[in-house]
Amino acid sequence: MTQERVEYVMRTITDQCIENERYFSDLDSVAGDGDFGYSLARGFENVRDQWDGFDRADAGTFLQKVAVTMSGRIGGTSGPIWGTAVLRAAGVVKGKHDVSGDDVVAMLRAAVEGIKARGGADLGDKTLIDALVPMTDAIERELAAGSSPADVARAAATAARTAADATKELQARRGRAAYTGERSIGSVDPGATAVAVLAEKIAEGW
Amino acid sequence: MKKFVNDPRNFVPEMLTGIALANPDTLTYVPDYNLIMRADAPRQDKVSIIQGSGSGHEPAHVMVVGKGMLDGACPGDVFAAPPMEYVLETAKLLRSDKGVLLLVNNYTGDKMAFEMAQELAEAEGMNVKTLFINDDVAVQDSTWTVGRRGVAGNFFVMKAVGAAAEEGAELDEIVRIGEKVNSVTRTMGIALTPCTPPAKGSPLFELGDDEMEVGVGIHGEPGRRRAKLVSADEIVDELLGAVVPDLPYESGDEVALMINGLGGTPISELYILYGIAHRKLEEKGIKVWRSYVGEYCTSLDMAGASLTLVKMDDEIARLLEAPAEIAIRVF
Repeated sequence: MTQERVEYVMRTITDQCIENERYFSDLDSVAGDGDFGYSLARGFENVRDQWDGFDRADAGTFLQKVAVTMSGRIGGTSGPIWGTAVLRAAGVVKGKHDVSGDDVVAMLRAAVEGIKARGGADLGDKTLIDALVPMTDAIERELAAGSSPADVARAAATAARTAADATKELQARRGRAAYTGERSIGSVDPGATAVAVLAEKIAEGW
Repeated sequence: MKKFVNDPRNFVPEMLTGIALANPDTLTYVPDYNLIMRADAPRQDKVSIIQGSGSGHEPAHVMVVGKGMLDGACPGDVFAAPPMEYVLETAKLLRSDKGVLLLVNNYTGDKMAFEMAQELAEAEGMNVKTLFINDDVAVQDSTWTVGRRGVAGNFFVMKAVGAAAEEGAELDEIVRIGEKVNSVTRTMGIALTPCTPPAKGSPLFELGDDEMEVGVGIHGEPGRRRAKLVSADEIVDELLGAVVPDLPYESGDEVALMINGLGGTPISELYILYGIAHRKLEEKGIKVWRSYVGEYCTSLDMAGASLTLVKMDDEIARLLEAPAEIAIRVF
């Protein structure tokens, strides 16, 4: 895909995180401390405000600017976690203008590794990783099957939503929600659900 | 809430402005990043030492900026980790050919902000190391940490690495020293009252008139247990009973003994605790090498105290005795 596509994806994430502030915070209030939506919205508002001024020398540079802007000014843990994810994805496409399907998979895998390193979480800990990994697997499968980009995006959204809904069964082991222990069982993870919402919007507008 | 405050949202900037105006020759204030830095920093012949943490712990950490200790501190809001950008920009402003050391009290928000800043600083070609401080023996994991918390014992780490940096030590050597001091430092605290963050306007938690929180964190996080208030003798027994066996500190050891006030306890009471602790340590055959009594790392207006022990060796003793010039002088 082109660098314009990368910008479309990032812009959709930015707008959706601002628009869903209340919804994401409400999800977080069930087992966490209720600041998830607030933190993301403030971070991506900075991205939106500075959107036109970002260095667009290549896709990697652009994403790196987004990552630093997003995570630079917000407190809590969401900034460093989401910022690191975008930063690591940026590293994969440094110097590139065209991003291949394989690049997308590599970017998402790098993002997941970044989140694991920053947050100390792994698959099954009831975090956004639990949506990102199945979503990436689905993208990889669809690419191998030769699906069109729009079909790949749709499959990614479906996989993310299914995986996000399945976090309901998991017990939180990382993040503030971990302190509520078993009480976290029965509610979906806000981070994983946010990934599903974003993937659906990205597929919708592809 | 009864506090000397204007708009609570300006609590931290107004405090930092006051610190800067009180120390015009030695400190510089950079409002964009809540940064208090040495007026003569960065120096290319020494490693720059940076702390962040939240505000509300003064004199830690903005008031221990100065010759022989920190080169800069960029705290977040009250009890909040600094945003990543504060740390990154502070590291850039204090960039030195010999490197930059980031000191981080072990809390999840601080850890993430500092690690991400380190990653970005390294991408810009800087030589940056991070050192985590986790001296609190009270709990293994807490509301805001994975692992032990960093509390008042961080003073000794800051003092030792600051002295080593002033002597011109290399970054790796300073990291070794900091890790060593942290590894022989243990702390535990007790709260007699909650504290009131200015933006919240009400106490952070409830504590009955006859109750104490044993093992409290410096943000009022729960410790080991809630108990009935007992005598000073019994409280010191409780603190020593937690701290001494943890390392353990043994007969024949020499220690630095700190009684740190949490912000709302008078000096008189701190010395009562000190006297008891000193005597009880000597009864165990543990020699007090040097005393540290006063406010080093507070929790706003919380009444309470913490007890810290540092096991001495010649290297640590020399670094703790080295001169330092910081803003908490009172003469």
